[in-house]
Amino acid sequence: MNGDAGGGTRGVTGAPERPGARVRVVIVDDHQIFRTGVRAELGPEVLVVGEAATVDEAVEAIPRLRPEVVLLDVHLPGGSGGGGAEVLRRLAAIPDAAGVRVLALSVSDAADDVVSVIRAGARGYLTKGSSGAEVTSAVLRVRDGDAVFSPRLAGFVLDAFGAGLGEIARADDELDRLSAREQEVMRMIARGYAYKEVATELHLSVKTIETHVSSVLRKLQLSNRHELTAWALSRRLL
Amino acid sequence: MTRHPLLRVADGRVLAGVGAGVARHLDVPVPAVRVAFLALALLGGAGALLYAWLWVTVPAERPGGAVPLRRALTGSGGVAEGIARGAPAPPRWPVAELLLGGALVIAGAALVLTHLGVRLNLEVILPGLAVLVGVGLAWWQFADRDRPDRAQLPRVLAALALVAVGVLLFFVTSGQPSVWTVVAAALAVLAGVALAVAPWVLRINRELIAERAGHAREAERSEIAAHLHDSVLQTLALIQQRSEPGGEVARLARGQERELREWLFREGDGGPRGHAASIESELRAHAAALEAEHAVRFEIVAVGAQGSAPHAILGAAREAMLNAARHAGGTVTVYLESSPARVSVDVTDRGPGVVVGQIPAGRMGVRASILDRMGRAGGTARIVAGPGGTGTSVRLALERDAAVATHGGAP
Repeated sequence: MNGDAGGGTRGVTGAPERPGARVRVVIVDDHQIFRTGVRAELGPEVLVVGEAATVDEAVEAIPRLRPEVVLLDVHLPGGSGGGGAEVLRRLAAIPDAAGVRVLALSVSDAADDVVSVIRAGARGYLTKGSSGAEVTSAVLRVRDGDAVFSPRLAGFVLDAFGAGLGEIARADDELDRLSAREQEVMRMIARGYAYKEVATELHLSVKTIETHVSSVLRKLQLSNRHELTAWALSRRLL
Repeated sequence: MTRHPLLRVADGRVLAGVGAGVARHLDVPVPAVRVAFLALALLGGAGALLYAWLWVTVPAERPGGAVPLRRALTGSGGVAEGIARGAPAPPRWPVAELLLGGALVIAGAALVLTHLGVRLNLEVILPGLAVLVGVGLAWWQFADRDRPDRAQLPRVLAALALVAVGVLLFFVTSGQPSVWTVVAAALAVLAGVALAVAPWVLRINRELIAERAGHAREAERSEIAAHLHDSVLQTLALIQQRSEPGGEVARLARGQERELREWLFREGDGGPRGHAASIESELRAHAAALEAEHAVRFEIVAVGAQGSAPHAILGAAREAMLNAARHAGGTVTVYLESSPARVSVDVTDRGPGVVVGQIPAGRMGVRASILDRMGRAGGTARIVAGPGGTGTSVRLALERDAAVATHGGAP
C-alpha cells in the first residue's frame, strides 16, 4: 500500500476501516534485538515501515515515514537525554507528525517514566513483557484513537488519583479525580480484564468503556493534581 | 615486580609513616631513609620541611587495606571489624608529638643560627620558636583530623595566635625599624598566616578532589547500570516471549528478571520500598516462589498506601494464588488495594474455572483456607467467574477494624 492511502484513512475512529489495510508502524527502540523481536511478533495487520534507535533518528524518521502508530521506548539515548518523552515533545512541534499516535513500551515500569511519556502525549503504555498478540491489538486500538492501559498503568492511575483513599470526582469535568465509573473500569483493567470483558462484567458497551478509558487518559495528561508528580517521583513500582 | 605506591604506612611507623612509606616506595632500608631525614633536618631544617611536606601531600595508607574488600565480599563487616579491633594494638605513645616538637625546635634553631652566625640571640630565638610551635600546632591539627572527637577550635585559635604573636614579637624586639624591617615584617606576617592556614586549604582541596572523584564514579556507575539493566531486562523479556510458555527457560528468565528488578529498584530510590512486612512484598515473594514451581506468571498491581496486612487476608490470598498456579497457570493477575480502612485482594486467572457449589467438601484449599478463614476474620470472600466467563476471580476484602476486633480469636 502507499502512504497516501494510509494517510487518507487516518483519523477515522470507530469500526476498523478498510479491512485489509495494514497499520503503518515505526518502532523506536535502541536495542536491535528488541526491534527485531517486535517486528517478528507483530501480527499480519501491522506493517512496520521503519525503525529508529535514538531520539534524533526518531524525530527525523517519523515525520518522513508518516506512520499511523509509533511504538516508542521510554528509555532512548540521544537528544538532550529526555528519552521517549523528549521524542513526543519534539514531534508535537512538527506539523507533519501531527496525526501520529504513540504507544509507549517500557521495560522499566518506574512510575515516573510511565507518567512522563503519558503526559507528553502517548496514548497508552505496555510493558515489554507483553506478547506479540497483545502489542498488535494495542496498536490497532491506538490507531483507532483509543487509549491502551495495561493492568499496571491502571494501577498507577488508581494510586495516583487517590482511588484507594475513596476520592471520587463529583463533576464530570473534574480533572483531579476519577468518577466512580472510571474507577470501576480502571479496577477491572487492573485485575487483568480486557475491554470487552470489562464491558460484559459491568453491563456496558465496549464503546462506553473506551470512552471512560479515554477520559481517564485525558485526566492523566491534563491534571494538575500535585500528588501525581510527587507520587510518580517518590514511588518506583516494580 | 611492581613498585609500591607512595603511601604513608600505618604499621611500624615512628612519626607519620613517611619514612617507612618512602623506604617501601624506593625499595631501600627504612633506617637509611630515617637517617637521611635526620641528617637533612640538622642541615638547616630541610629534612624537617621535606618531611612535613611529604606528610601533608602523601596520602595515608588505609589501615588494613585488605579489609574493605573482604568485608564487601563476605558482608560481615561487624564481625571483621570486631576481630580487627580485638587484636592487641601496640600502645601508642605521644612519640609523634614529641618528635615533631623536637624537630621543629631544632629546625628553628638551626635556621636562626645560620642566619645570625653562631651568636645566640634570645630576642630572636624565642619569637622564632613561638612561630614554629604555632605553625606546628596548625599542621598537627591537620594531621590529626582522623580523630574528630578532640575539640579543634581552641587549638586552631591558639596556633594562629602564636603565629601572630611570634611574628610581632620578632619585629618589636629587633631594634630600630627601617624600610626593610617593615617590608620584612609584612612578609613575615603574611607567611605566618599562610603557613597556619595552609593546612585547611590543603585539606579542603583534598576533600574536594575526593568528593569530585566520588561523584564521577557514582555517575559512571549509574549510567553503566542503567544501560546494562535496560539491555538485560529487554533480553530477559524477549526470552520469555519466545520460549514456550511455562517452559523451563521462560521460568529461569522470569526469575532472573525479578531478581534484577528487585535489586535495581531497591538501589534506585534508597529506601521507601524497603518496609519488609508490607503485604505487597509478601505477595511478591509468594508469587516468586510459585513461579519457580509452576508454569505461571503473576502480575501484581498494588494500589494505595502499603503497610502490614491482617494475617487472614494474606493467608487467603496466598492460597488463592496457589490454586491459580496449580489449576489455571498462564498469567494470573493479583490486584491489591489497601486503604487505612480496608484491604482487598483479587486473584484473577484465565484457567478452566471453578463452580463454588461443586467444590468437593474435601477440598481444603478453597473452603478452609479461603472462605472460612476470611469468614472467621470478619471479611468477605467471593469466587466469581473470571474475565470473559472463563477462569476464576477470587475477591477478598477485609475491613481493618474487623480484623483487629476478631484477630484474637483466630488460630
